[in-house]
Amino acid sequence: MLLLLLALAAAPEANNCVTCHTTQQDQRLARPAVLFSETDVHRERGFACIDCHGGDPTTPDKAKAHDPARLFKGKPVGQAVVTTCARCHSDAGLMRTYAPRQRVDQATEYAASVHGKQLAAGDQRVATCVSCHGAHGVRLVSDAKSPVFPTSVATTCASCHADAKHMEGYKLADGSTLPTSQLADYRKSVHFAAMTRNNDLSAPTCNDCHGNHGAAPPGVGAIANVCGTCHAVFAQKFELSVHSQIFDKGCVECHGNHAVLKPSDEMLSATGHGICVPCHNGDDKNDSGAKAAVGMRGDIEGLKTRLDQARSLIAGVKNSGIEVSDDELALREAATKLTLARTEVHTFEPARVTEVIADATKIVGGIDQAGQRGVAELKYRRRGLALSLGAILLVVVGLALKVRQIDQQHR
Amino acid sequence: MPNTPTDFPFARQGGDQPFDRRSFLDALLAVGFVSTAAAMAYPVARFLVPPPSGEPETATAVAGRAAELKPNSGKIFKFGNKPGIVVRTAEGELRAFSAVCSHLDCTVQFKADTSQLWCACHNGTYDLGGNVVSGPPPRGLEAFVVNIRGEGTDAEIVVSRS
Amino acid sequence: MTLLQRTIVWLDERIDLSDVRHFVAEKGVPVHAQKVWYYLGGMTLFLFAVQVCSGILLLLYYRPSAAEAYESVQFIVTRVEFGWLVRNIHSWSANLLIALAFAHFFSVFLLKSYRKPRELTWVSGILLLFLMLGFGFSGYLLPWNELSFFATKVGTGIAGAVPFAGKFLLRVLRGGDDVTGATLSRFYGLHVAILPAITTALVALHLLLVQRQGMSVPIAVEERIKQGERVPQMPFFPNYVLRDVLAWYVALALLAALALFYPWELGQKADPFAAVPAGIRPEWYFLAMFHTLKLLPSHIAGFEGEQVGVLAFGAAAAFLVFVPFLDRRALQGRKSPAFTIVGVLGLLYLVVFTIIGHYAK
Repeated sequence: MLLLLLALAAAPEANNCVTCHTTQQDQRLARPAVLFSETDVHRERGFACIDCHGGDPTTPDKAKAHDPARLFKGKPVGQAVVTTCARCHSDAGLMRTYAPRQRVDQATEYAASVHGKQLAAGDQRVATCVSCHGAHGVRLVSDAKSPVFPTSVATTCASCHADAKHMEGYKLADGSTLPTSQLADYRKSVHFAAMTRNNDLSAPTCNDCHGNHGAAPPGVGAIANVCGTCHAVFAQKFELSVHSQIFDKGCVECHGNHAVLKPSDEMLSATGHGICVPCHNGDDKNDSGAKAAVGMRGDIEGLKTRLDQARSLIAGVKNSGIEVSDDELALREAATKLTLARTEVHTFEPARVTEVIADATKIVGGIDQAGQRGVAELKYRRRGLALSLGAILLVVVGLALKVRQIDQQHR
Repeated sequence: MPNTPTDFPFARQGGDQPFDRRSFLDALLAVGFVSTAAAMAYPVARFLVPPPSGEPETATAVAGRAAELKPNSGKIFKFGNKPGIVVRTAEGELRAFSAVCSHLDCTVQFKADTSQLWCACHNGTYDLGGNVVSGPPPRGLEAFVVNIRGEGTDAEIVVSRS
Repeated sequence: MTLLQRTIVWLDERIDLSDVRHFVAEKGVPVHAQKVWYYLGGMTLFLFAVQVCSGILLLLYYRPSAAEAYESVQFIVTRVEFGWLVRNIHSWSANLLIALAFAHFFSVFLLKSYRKPRELTWVSGILLLFLMLGFGFSGYLLPWNELSFFATKVGTGIAGAVPFAGKFLLRVLRGGDDVTGATLSRFYGLHVAILPAITTALVALHLLLVQRQGMSVPIAVEERIKQGERVPQMPFFPNYVLRDVLAWYVALALLAALALFYPWELGQKADPFAAVPAGIRPEWYFLAMFHTLKLLPSHIAGFEGEQVGVLAFGAAAAFLVFVPFLDRRALQGRKSPAFTIVGVLGLLYLVVFTIIGHYAK
């Protein structure tokens, strides 16, 4: 029976579902049919309304078309959505014939997610497959117009999570209200900037840290792993530090979770606006953490100052005409060391930072020497100029006297 | 025919003393003119001689000797005022890229164990096509054109912008 | 006979130098209170010669393409022996040349030296002044750095404001719709070939006229001559020439010192896709004109403000060319206070607006 229906569905002419629904006044009935007739990944691969909804597309008679005997299911809601989608999408054999590389465990992941668990407990407000992917007019994830294209994921999640009314009643594990500021925070972050301004689609959005179908907050102890999938070096360094044993929230303690801003050296301080402040006290002489912060920050600021000085020395000398491309290269090396020092800070061990800074200082020393040689060359030029000016002065004086002499002669 | 002595504006008139101010002044001026002429001619002459570096290294640079670069190794060289890296693959092919990491401008290096270009700052990795394999770099490395100039052991690797 | 005398005799036997010798012996320069202004013309000529020589030297290493221009200038300044000296002398002498050309122009204008019989000298001179400005504008682009690129963009954009011919003029100047490597090629051709050729011809004419007609005297002095007073003359050779050479040596010393202590910056290589830096301005000698155009309202009497401005400057330029024919009183050898006032006002306008333009945000 199913095979017969499928065979009938394959014939494009016999699709009364669309012809009837598109002419409906009620948009809730018409729109799905319209959308499905436009760009839809399922329709383009030969699927039709009945593959999800059942029923009989060959007859224009509503009662016959919507006959449960013909397996008409109506609009799937809640868990029924997941079952409907999973009927194909969890079938590895079937999916292989359409998209061999696509995963088939989404439903399993979903069951492990907060959304899935809530749904199983009877909460119909949570997201299901169609909440993010759409039901009709579904596009591939790689299609730029898809609601789950990387640049659109945040807005799609936010369609519920930023809606205070929708999120009313949900609480965090500690009893506080689930915040709705995530999208606004994320929009301030460097990750958002990387994706939207620099068109870097590999930049993280909601699903990269929370998971797609198994969406849930990473959980205590897991955060450094999550951030570390991209920021591997920092995670490694952090793992060596005392903080990795102390921090509940890992990287998030200092860098935030959604509003991850561009870090600055000003953060490394136990006084004022420094992020060490909540735990460390810069005024307490016995606070070894505060001392470490001062040490590391001092090293870095010292290098920055020396680098700036070297840069202006080289720039000034270059402008006066001395060849400095080797020194510009060395400046680059020193700047690389500065970046490495900032990475090393995540071990929170001043000795390691000092080591990197010491390397950089050696390089800057070399640059300074080259700069001084340039300055010496300029001094040499000035001596040459003084000599020439002396000769010119000689001529000028001589000419002035000669002019006077000739004038007298003329009279 | 001109009357030689008096027709000329600089004709000498009188001055038989062994030292007269006039000829001293003339001598002074002569010395002055010659030295200033030399002071002008010397820089011009030096300017005209081409400098050892030949021509502006805008688009090309020499990256070292071909014989010194072994298979599965890389070498940093200077391209203008930025670092470049030339690599000889395990098969012997020469490739060159900008060594400036597209993440935060650190200088990348060649890792022989993985045959990849690696940035020590934040673990960015590029393949030998300059494409990003993993890590934070947002873009690949700019590829350069490599040529060999000369023959035998003195053959040089010449890198130019594509 | 000295070597010099023997050489002259040898030449005289082959090409009759009697005219030249007569000229050298007889030419005189009038001596009066305003004679200091006489030196300005020679100074301008000297600086032009410095430009030609330093320009030829730079030519040997400069590359006029968008990909290489900046690097070649960097090469000259950092790698070529004394390249820094040649380049900086060229840049400084350019500015001094234009300043002196303006000073020469104003002194001639205010002293009414353009009156009969020197109308042609004036016309050739005014055209030379415009050519100097053309040299300055075309040369400024050649280092192909950020400042010069955008200043050229703005400057050629103003050319587009000329009514009717504006669009065409802009395309011809830029070698296209935008400032690109094509503009650079074009400006280079202008700067090293076209403008020098025209300038050489005009300078030759200008000098020939000056030498044939002798130095003009102020009207007051002329009136004294008419009343029978004898104005003393200084022989051109050697008295005046030596003074001229003295001034030239002082200028040379100044240029060398400026080149060493205030080197011209290399700047950043031009990036045509970068945004125009805030506060972009042309060089000082275009500043008054530029700032005036900026201050004009967007519409004047139904026409676009900028168009009216450009037309006004065009009219002023035409006025300047034809001044000898317009100043009736000077033509008749009479004092012409009206034109003196026009000249003083013009000078004040240029000075004031250059200063305002410099300090404006």
